[in-house]
Formats: sequence, C-alpha cells, structure tokens
Amino acid sequence: MATVATKKLRKPVTDMIVSRIRQRVLAKRGPMTPPFELEYRHIFVLPTSFGWGFGFMLVFMTLGGLNFNNNMALILVFLLATIAQLTTLIAYRNLSGLKIDNIYSEPVFCGEAAHFYVLVSNQNERQRFAVQAGFKPPQDCTDFKLNSSESFHLKHPTLNRGWLEMPSFRLETRFPLGLFKAWSWVFPQSRCLVYPSPAKKAPPLPKTGHGQAGQAAKGDGDQVHGLRKYQPGDSIRRVAWRASARHDELYSLEMEAPQEEACELDWDLLHGVDVETRLSILTAWVVAADHKQLSYSLKLPGEQVPSDNGINHRSKCLELLALYLL
Amino acid sequence: MFPQLGNMPIHLVSITLLPIMWRLLAEVRDWKTPPMLLRLIATAFAIAALVVTYGGLLGRRAAVSMLVLMLSLKLLETFRIRDARIVVSLSLFLCATQFLFSQGVLMIIYITACLLSALIALMYLHRKEAYEHVGEAPASGHNLFTQVAFGVRLMALALPIGLALFLLFPRWASPLWGLPEDALDARSGLSDSMTPGSIQSLFMDDSPAFRVTFEGLLPSHSELYWRGPIFWDFNGHSWQASYLNLNLIANNKPDPEQAPFRYEVQMEPTEQRWLFALDYPALTPSGTHLTVDYQLFSTRPITRLREYVMASDPDFLDSPQLGQTLRRAALELPAGFNPRTAEMMADWRKEAIRDADIVQRALMYFNQEQFHYTLNPPLLSNHTVDEFLFETRQGFCEHYASAFTVMMRMAGIPARVVTGYQGGWYNEIGAYMLVRQSDAHAWSEVWVRGSGWTRIDPTAAVAPDRVEQGAVDSLAQRRHMLDFEWLRNMRNSFDLFQHGWNNWVVAFGSDNQSRLFTNFGLDFLDSTKLVTALIAIILIISAVMFMLAPLLLRVRSSHKQDPLLRLWQKFIRKLKKAGFISHPSMGPMELAANASCQLEYKDDGISRIAELYMLCRYSKNTGNLVELAALINGFQPQPQLRGT
Repeated sequence: MATVATKKLRKPVTDMIVSRIRQRVLAKRGPMTPPFELEYRHIFVLPTSFGWGFGFMLVFMTLGGLNFNNNMALILVFLLATIAQLTTLIAYRNLSGLKIDNIYSEPVFCGEAAHFYVLVSNQNERQRFAVQAGFKPPQDCTDFKLNSSESFHLKHPTLNRGWLEMPSFRLETRFPLGLFKAWSWVFPQSRCLVYPSPAKKAPPLPKTGHGQAGQAAKGDGDQVHGLRKYQPGDSIRRVAWRASARHDELYSLEMEAPQEEACELDWDLLHGVDVETRLSILTAWVVAADHKQLSYSLKLPGEQVPSDNGINHRSKCLELLALYLL
Repeated sequence: MFPQLGNMPIHLVSITLLPIMWRLLAEVRDWKTPPMLLRLIATAFAIAALVVTYGGLLGRRAAVSMLVLMLSLKLLETFRIRDARIVVSLSLFLCATQFLFSQGVLMIIYITACLLSALIALMYLHRKEAYEHVGEAPASGHNLFTQVAFGVRLMALALPIGLALFLLFPRWASPLWGLPEDALDARSGLSDSMTPGSIQSLFMDDSPAFRVTFEGLLPSHSELYWRGPIFWDFNGHSWQASYLNLNLIANNKPDPEQAPFRYEVQMEPTEQRWLFALDYPALTPSGTHLTVDYQLFSTRPITRLREYVMASDPDFLDSPQLGQTLRRAALELPAGFNPRTAEMMADWRKEAIRDADIVQRALMYFNQEQFHYTLNPPLLSNHTVDEFLFETRQGFCEHYASAFTVMMRMAGIPARVVTGYQGGWYNEIGAYMLVRQSDAHAWSEVWVRGSGWTRIDPTAAVAPDRVEQGAVDSLAQRRHMLDFEWLRNMRNSFDLFQHGWNNWVVAFGSDNQSRLFTNFGLDFLDSTKLVTALIAIILIISAVMFMLAPLLLRVRSSHKQDPLLRLWQKFIRKLKKAGFISHPSMGPMELAANASCQLEYKDDGISRIAELYMLCRYSKNTGNLVELAALINGFQPQPQLRGT
C-alpha cells in the first residue's frame, strides 16, 4: 500500500523536477519560436540506443585489445571510437544553421488529423541529409540541398473543437551512422482551428428558405446575369468581348446558377440535445448546404451569420461553430 | 569474416556459408523469416558441430568460430533494421578478433575494406530508418560513390585522432585476465612431439617464424641452428619430450659477457611455450627459464608477437658430466623394435674403440650409401628405423635425426633429438634475418665424454646443401604449383614491410609507450599518472572549448553574412535601443515609416537610411554602401517627446 502511495506521489514530483529543469535549460536558449535559426545552444546530442550498444561493444573490444595487447585491434577500436565521436559533430552540423521560417495549418474537422506544414530553409552551402521532424516519434523526413527550403508535414490528432495549439515538436537527425541523434525542440506559436465533427446521422437540411428563395448565387453558373468590370482573376472565357470592344474597357460576364432554395440553420431548430451534439449537427448542415451550393444562414444564441454561400461564408460559419462558447 | 573461414574446418565453413546463401536468395526472391523452430534447430546443430570439432566452446579459435557461425545464422532472421545493425556491429567485433590471428599487412588492408563497408552499411541503415515513416528515401546525392567517399573521409578524419589515442592510451604491462589456455590448439610451427612427416608439413609453410636483428657479429650459415623443442622419449614411432627435460633447470649457463652473438628476436605467436635461440642461449628473458637441455621455455604460451634480447655462445660446453638419471633417459629405447639396426649397431660397437668413431661411421654410412633427401618419403610402418635404413632410404630431416638418434642409443651413446630451425634469409635492406616455418629442421645431439653434448646433423651428411643453402633451395623439386624462386624473393622483400610494421605498430606495448614518453621527457608518467593526466587534459580542453565555443561560433557566423545585412541589423539594434521594436515581417519602408512616427532623428534620417538600404540591396550600384555605413554608424535616434 505504502509503495503504491509513494509511487503515485513520486511520479508527479519527478515530473515536476524534470519539467523545471527543462524550463531552466530552455530559458537560457533564447527564443525557440519561429522564425529562428538553430544554433549550438538549441541542439542537443545524445547517443541512440544503438549508439549505447555500440559504445558498450567498443568498451568490450578495448578491454580485449588491451588484454591481448593486440595493437591492431586497439587501433581498430580507437578508429571506430573516433568515427563515432566525429558523427556527433556531423549530426550537429546537420541541424545547425537550419532556419524554421514559418508554420501553417488549415482548419480540420474534429477527429481528423490536424496538418501542420513547417517550412524550414537551409541557408548554408552544405547539404543536409535525413532531417526528421515530429511530435514524439519522427513523422517526416527530408534532405536539404544547398540553399534550399523544404517543408515538413506533421500530423496531430484532434480531440476537441476549437483552437488546437500546436505542441512543441522536435527536429532531429541521426545522420550519418545512426549512433547519435542530434535534436532541437521547437516551440511553435501556431494553432490550428478544429471545427466540430459533422454529425454522422444528421437530420435532413431544414427547408425554411422563406424570403431567400429565387436569389441567385453569383459566381459559377450557366445563366448570364449581367456585366461587370473585368477583375484580375476572372476567367478569360468569361470576358464579354463585344461589350469590352464598345467601351474600351474589359468587361466580364457575371454568371448565375439557378438557386433552388435557401435555408436557415437555426440553433433553436434542435431541441432536446446537448450543446456539442447541436454544434455537430449544425456543422453537418453547413457542410451539406455548402456541398449543394445552397445559400444558408446560421443562427446561434447571440451570433448570427446572414445568408450567403461560398468558401468564405462556409469558413466563417464553421469558425463560429468551432469557437462557440469557448 | 572470411579469413576466419580459412581457420575453420571445412564442414564448419559449409555450415557458415549456407545461411549466407539463403539470405542472399531471400533478398532476391523476397522470402520471409524461417519459422522459430527451424532457426532453433539450426542454432543447436551449429553449436553441436562446434563442440564436436573443438571439443568445447572455450578457447579463442572455438569462440571466434562460434561468433562467425552465430553471425551467419543471425542473417536468417535479419529483416529489421535493428537486427541488421546488430549484424554490422558484430561484424566489426569479428574484425577485431581477426587480429588475434594475424596482424599482417594484408589483413589490415582487408579489415580496412571491411570497416569501410560496415560504415556504408550503417549509413544505408540509418537512411532507411529515417525514411521509414515516409516511404522510399530519395536517391538524390546518395549513390554508392558518394557513400564510399563519405566513408573514406570519415576514416581519414578519424585516423589522426585514433592514432593519437593509440599512442597515448594507457597500456597494461600484464594481462588483466588470464590468456585462454586453449592456446595449444593447432597452429603451424614446431610442436611438442615429432613424428615422421610433422616437419615436412611445416616445410610447405612460408609464413615467418621469427625475425632476428643481430648486433655486431653475424653467424655463418652453418652456425644458424635455432634451438627449439628437444625430445628424449621414443616410443618406436614418435618422439616426445620427457618429464625430466621439461622440468629440470639448467645448472649453469654460458656467460652472457663472453657470448659472441648478441641479437634481438621478434617471434610470431606459436601458441607453444618454446622460444628460439642459437646454441647455446646465455640469457633468460623475463618469464622464461632454461631447462637442463637448454630449451628456452616460457611460462605462458606465446600467443602474440614476442620480442626478446638474446645472447648465444656456440662454444659452451654442455654437461661435461652426465648424471645417471639423464644418462638412462638418453639411452632408453622401446623393446622389440628395429632388430636389424640393433644388430648392426652391436657389430659397430665391437669394432669401435671410441664413441666418436661410431658417430663418424654412422655419418659416413649416411653419406656413402644410397640415401636421398626428399620431400616425399615413402610411408614407414612398424620398424620405422629398420625400414628407413635398409629399404626405403628416402627421408626428410626428421627421418635422419630420428634414425641417427636411435642408432646412437643402440650403440650405447646417449643421444637426443633436437628440433628447431636451421638457416634464415638475411634481408640486406632491413638488416635482419627472417626465419620461416619452412626452415624447420631436426637434428641430433650425442653426449661424448670430454666434449659433452655435441650437435650432429645427419641430414648434412646426406645433403650438405640443406645446411648451406636452406631447405627450400636444396630440393630440386618444387613444393607446389606457385613455388617459383622469383616469387619467393619477392615475398622475402615484402617481408621487410611486415617487419617494419611489426616493429612500429604490432609490437607497440607499454614498454614502447614509456620509451616514447621518455623521449619527450615524460618518463615520470606511469599508467596511473597517465590516466590522470589524460583525464585532466581532456577536462581542461573541453572547459576551454566550452568557454570559447560561443565566441568562435559567433565570430564565424557573423563573418559569413553579407556586410549589408550586418549594417541593417546594426540599424535595427539601434532602433531597438531607442525603444522601437521592429517586427520581422516589416519591410524597410514600413519599418522606416513606423519608426519615424515613434522616434526623433534629424528630418527624415530614418527613411533616408531605409531608402539607401533598398538601393544597395536591389540596385547594382553598391557605391552607396559607404554612405549607408556612415549614416548608420552616426545614427542616434531619440525617443519622441510629443506623447505616445
């Protein structure tokens, strides 16, 4: 009983001490949030488990060589030891000077993996090989050519809606022999927006599109709606050449898709279910409505998004749902 | 690994090669690991084969063979990176053990190649592991050539430090644990018994037995009798050492001061306990003693290159008196063997007045009857001496020595068989003498009143060339297909390198190390002090490096940047000092605009600097750089007073 109790006690205490020490050490290392360049004080080098085994074998070989006074065996051992020692330097050089430029991510639905893209650039005149990155086990690996930049793709599971703060991750390398690993912690200050997970068995879309019906969604479609001034980005096929020729200015055709109906996604439509389920159903509706290219409005207690459609509208609605009451 | 195969019997070799072949096929055909049971059975079978072959698993040869076998069996289940790494590490370990058997130049070249391929294998494994989560590793810049180049570079970089460690690493004067007593497993060289054919097999072996550097006087060729194992007991077939001659210590030995020959011997490991010296050894190197018949006997088997200083006096009078026990031992013969010889010797005895006459008569007999010195004597059955003397009459040195000794004993003259080496090849350039296994020889010693034990070489009576020119040259026939004189000469010259290598590298031990330190005036250092000093030096160096490293690294990194960027950073530092903190995302214009809102400096000094900077950066007109430097150096912004 007592041992169980002390064990329970000890764990947090050691954890606390370890994290204290880590904070102390890390505090001295200056900023480790991007953008920053990996310098000698950011990089740790320790043997891998294979490295320990190899070292143990070398000790064994040294003893044997000394005992038999076998000079060639000793030279071999010392050569191997020096090579192993050199690889620490090589591993360090493989990381040092890398610059973490930026990290970006795109919103995901809860339950999907959050994807973070870490942009790292190699500003030196030397190649780097097999640099790995990852939260706990390394997840991505890449080589760097001279003066190049690469991106690492890291995934993190999502459990809750809202902002997912990107946890600290490691850049590490075991180049060249796998005897030593050099690593560096990065404390990113980026986050990923996690939408509520869309309900799998959501009720069908509410068809309460009063007052909105008949309004056309501008953008893509088959019917010509009108003319407007050409804007960069308009498809060249949409340019109204005849009108443009008349006015000495470029005009493009505004198209419209006939809208079947619009719907109102209202919090109050869903009675008798808890908050998360409501959010989840609403999310499913938003996704479905967007998929059908309907115009939709979203109404939450205290929040409202007027009826619209398109990618930005969708993001806006989903963000609202993701951050509701958080 | 493969040289070890040469050391192993053929059936073990095949057991070793099977898994290797299986693994190669598995790689091609994409086979999976064989079931656990099969692997267990294979392992058990291999161990059984080892035990049967070596009579146990202890001992150097058996242990290394076991390592080889296990390594090859490990290949059966090596499908993961971890296993592959273990295999590579063990291979390196095996490389080191190979040096227990040979430290020759060829071996070193081979092991270097092994080391290189091991490094490449580790690199490959590392790469595979790193890209495990991603899929295939990109091949860019990673072909075999770059890997070899990288491995060679690693080795070249490591070599100086490795050698320094080798020179400075403290050595033990004596082994930490006992050398394995398996030492007596088969190894080429003279052994502790002599049967017809035993020296003959050595004759095929051109590997060096020992090398001798003479100080001063060089003995003539006919004086080059290197004394080795001496045999007293004859059982009708083979000669053996007796309890007496191995354990009785010589009463007196030659005066080293009077000895005309002084030399240093560097002896290859034999795993036997005899040291070799010319007649008669006057010194006993440490760890050895002289037996009653002047064998130089070491307490431990010679398992590694051994160097000793020796002096010899050929004129020493060995045993003017022969005690009863020894006399009886030197006359003893098994009953019922060789009746015809016994009859002839009895006749000779009657006719002779002095013992020396019988000795002379026997030598004459060998010389004048149709005796042949040959490499391929016919086999002898029961009465070996009878058959040899009266029927076959063809023999190698051990046949003559054996027959002569038996004849002398039958005539009542105390006699014994001496084995050792005769001759040697003098290397003019290296000024040393090389004695090969093929110089192995056997002769006799008889005890004659007044002159004590006297060396008699019956082979010389049959083939005088043997003594004058050496065994190999005295035979007309070739020993094997590749036995050409030019090849032998080339090998003799090559031995010069091997000798130098032995002198400088292989024989380097705690003695040489302390000698080295003495040369540098560090003779007060013994092992313990050396360790302390080394640790102290390492600590001091690392402390200094630790303190200097930030400085060094910073200096280097700032040197690398371009001057423009340095200037700009200085500008930003100055801004920061004045209280304006710039954000990395700001461009020069934006920064200038923001900064001029917060700071007071001249009229539009800040935007002027930003403009200049942009000009320098983006237009090719670099003449502005000086002006910019002046501006930034003189930049002294003031925080704005009119409210924030």
